[in-house]
Amino acid sequence: MDLFLHLCIVIAIYSIFAMSLNLEVGYTGLFNFGHVAFLGVGAYTSALLSLAGVPFALALAAALAAAGLTGFLLSIPALRLQGDYFGIATLGFGEILRLVFQNEVWLTKGPMGLPGIPKPEFFSVRFESLPEYLGLASVAALLTYLILGAVTESPFGRALRAVRDDETAAEILGKNAFAFKTRSFVLGSVFAGLAGVLWAHYTSFISPSDFTLNETILVLLIVVLGGKGTRPGPVAGAVALIFLQESLRFLRLPPEWTRYLGPMQQMAFGALLVVLMVFRPGGLIREKGGK
Amino acid sequence: MDILLQSIVNGILAGCIYALFAMGLTLIYGVLNFVNFAHGELIMWGAYFLYLFVSEPFSLPLVVAVAPAILCTIGLGIVMDFAVFRPLRKADRLTLLIAAMGLSFLLRNAAQFFWGAEVRTYGLEIARGYPFFGVSLTAQQILIIAATVVCVFGVYLLFFRTSLGKSMRAVSDNLDLARVVGINARLSIRAAWIVSAALAGVGGILLALDTNLHPEMGVINLIKAFAATLIGGVGNIWGALMGGLLIGLAENLSVLVISPGYKDAVAFAIMVGILLTRPYLITGRRED
Amino acid sequence: MLEVRGVIKSFGGIRAVADVSLNLQGLAVAGLIGPNGSGKTTLFNLISGLLRPDAGQILFDGVRIDGRLPHEMARLGLIRTFQLSRVFPGMTALDNLLLAPRGQDGESLRSLAWRRTSIRRQEARNRQRAEETLEILGIARLRDEFAGNLSYGQQKLLELGRAFMAEPKRILLDEPAAGINPSMIRTMMDTIVRMKEAGTRFFIIEHNMDVVVELCERIFVLDHGEKIAEGAPAEIQRDPKVIEAYLGG
Repeated sequence: MDLFLHLCIVIAIYSIFAMSLNLEVGYTGLFNFGHVAFLGVGAYTSALLSLAGVPFALALAAALAAAGLTGFLLSIPALRLQGDYFGIATLGFGEILRLVFQNEVWLTKGPMGLPGIPKPEFFSVRFESLPEYLGLASVAALLTYLILGAVTESPFGRALRAVRDDETAAEILGKNAFAFKTRSFVLGSVFAGLAGVLWAHYTSFISPSDFTLNETILVLLIVVLGGKGTRPGPVAGAVALIFLQESLRFLRLPPEWTRYLGPMQQMAFGALLVVLMVFRPGGLIREKGGK
Repeated sequence: MDILLQSIVNGILAGCIYALFAMGLTLIYGVLNFVNFAHGELIMWGAYFLYLFVSEPFSLPLVVAVAPAILCTIGLGIVMDFAVFRPLRKADRLTLLIAAMGLSFLLRNAAQFFWGAEVRTYGLEIARGYPFFGVSLTAQQILIIAATVVCVFGVYLLFFRTSLGKSMRAVSDNLDLARVVGINARLSIRAAWIVSAALAGVGGILLALDTNLHPEMGVINLIKAFAATLIGGVGNIWGALMGGLLIGLAENLSVLVISPGYKDAVAFAIMVGILLTRPYLITGRRED
Repeated sequence: MLEVRGVIKSFGGIRAVADVSLNLQGLAVAGLIGPNGSGKTTLFNLISGLLRPDAGQILFDGVRIDGRLPHEMARLGLIRTFQLSRVFPGMTALDNLLLAPRGQDGESLRSLAWRRTSIRRQEARNRQRAEETLEILGIARLRDEFAGNLSYGQQKLLELGRAFMAEPKRILLDEPAAGINPSMIRTMMDTIVRMKEAGTRFFIIEHNMDVVVELCERIFVLDHGEKIAEGAPAEIQRDPKVIEAYLGG
């Protein structure tokens, strides 16, 4: 039962992370390969503030603001770039931010990480036990779903998709493509920060090695597996991924092989990503009218 | 002054390796018009293939093991193209790039699967340095320079002295036009992968000789390689050579003023600088 | 009121537009003709902000617009269509039209948060206008069809309707009759006339002389980037310079 609750929490957090990336990649067509950076900013901001005694609500707000601000600052130079170049720039940014987490030991304790992150406390309720934390994470995921869903179904979302599909034609109709992309990117960063906060307070320990390119690739897998550019896609993808991850665990391997389980699983995911792109790039839930 | 000189030398040495990385990357970009996000893993696997052949059960001497290692790396490059990139020739950009990311992820974890995540080396003893115009160079470092010169010369011969090279340049310039003129694009593309993988393999081996091996070594080097290709202009092989040297120098000179922990960030900073000051290359915003 | 003054644009030594001046003041429908490569589309690109002129000025309603970004042109009431129709294939015909109206509050995140009812009302109004536009275009039954599934002629019609939805002051129409069959051309022309009567003005690039002569009050002729003639359709058809440009080399 505990395992089940744990998995649900992980699914909820991954869903939020995936929905935020889906907004950028699926709805806006931005190749953000450094999304993990905002997960990290959210996590570290909230963790550091909470460890310093700041109440959770404030720490959360600060973390979201920090993530959004980071996204905004990155977007100013980065959004001038198209396609591959934007991808590499964001990829690089993710790596550089990890370096910052690693090197600024005075702030982040570097590779040793931050242990003992306190559990969140809202209105004098401590979300300590698994069911309680699941409640918190689920509410956050639901809010994310509703908010991002409302955004993508609105005229804003419509204009966003137009910018994605044909930027010039959208501009000709009066849509300021740069402004739309920036807003989408910042919004995506904020929600990635939210996922980071939930992650940090759940695991109680974070370190720079939690925020590598591999996390970006996993969330990319979730987004494309579930179906990018759709509302339920990211959630479906998160469920599918966790399901796959856990079912691999059930392979009866001789004990000497357990150290191989991790890389094997990741290899399977890498292969899955490639196979998906070659054979079914639309994912599980296909976008209406998509190619 | 000594430190400065040594930094410059280190810069040139690192630059040679980055030049090899960048030349391989820019070659594929020129011919197939996309950034091979898995190029870092070709580099990494080049280094690991050598490790494979010098370890049990092959236990070949280092010098002998280089040949099969490079051949295997080339094989990997061809397989990558055949299995992943060729089916996606007509796919949209995002699909292609995500596939490359997935491939790189797969290859990184495969290396971890076989050799674990620990840092490894080829087990050579600390070499002694030979004096050279006021600086000290080890045999390995001389090898780096020599290997780079050989590779660059080889690339020059290929590109400017063979008809295959001419075809590759044509394909790089304009794929459709090249096809119309009857140039065998398939052959040129295959040749590009062979050369790109070979350069990556040599570079990876040299890097591992100079430093060490670990499965994540490709990631940051992809970024450095890309930064170098940007300096010289994408698709321009000599530009990549120059870019690599510049990045190597910039990195090693910068540690004189900034914290060594951020050495890897120098290439990124240069890249951002270029991308911001040469937007017409990138955004295509104005000219439709 | 659209005015072009002494505009020059070169591409690597070739003058695509060479010191062109024209004034559309008081013209409801003006035409732009010329042989292939004479610089017509380049001029449209310059006016709509996709290109920046090397020299000269472009004014719209007395305001300088040269060098401004494309989305600013739309805000000022200048919309263009493309020679090869650029509807959004992955969106329905209705959604394509709903994209067009200017000043939609629903496109602002801040408004989405605080002014939901007014946005709903705007959407409803726009929807109604979009459905009416589809009726005018004669493709009301294609409302929920993905634009990518429409025939080429229907796509061009849709693109015209989309421009109209933006309530523009002037539409730059790039070869509306190109690549579509005669009955569709008739529909296109009737639609343009209806829109003209509703107050929209046009500047049309067209190769099909029947279309040009029937629709346009005044025609400007370009050849090799230069304006070689302007005048009423009848004059232009008789003008020896124009005839030579089309027949000669």
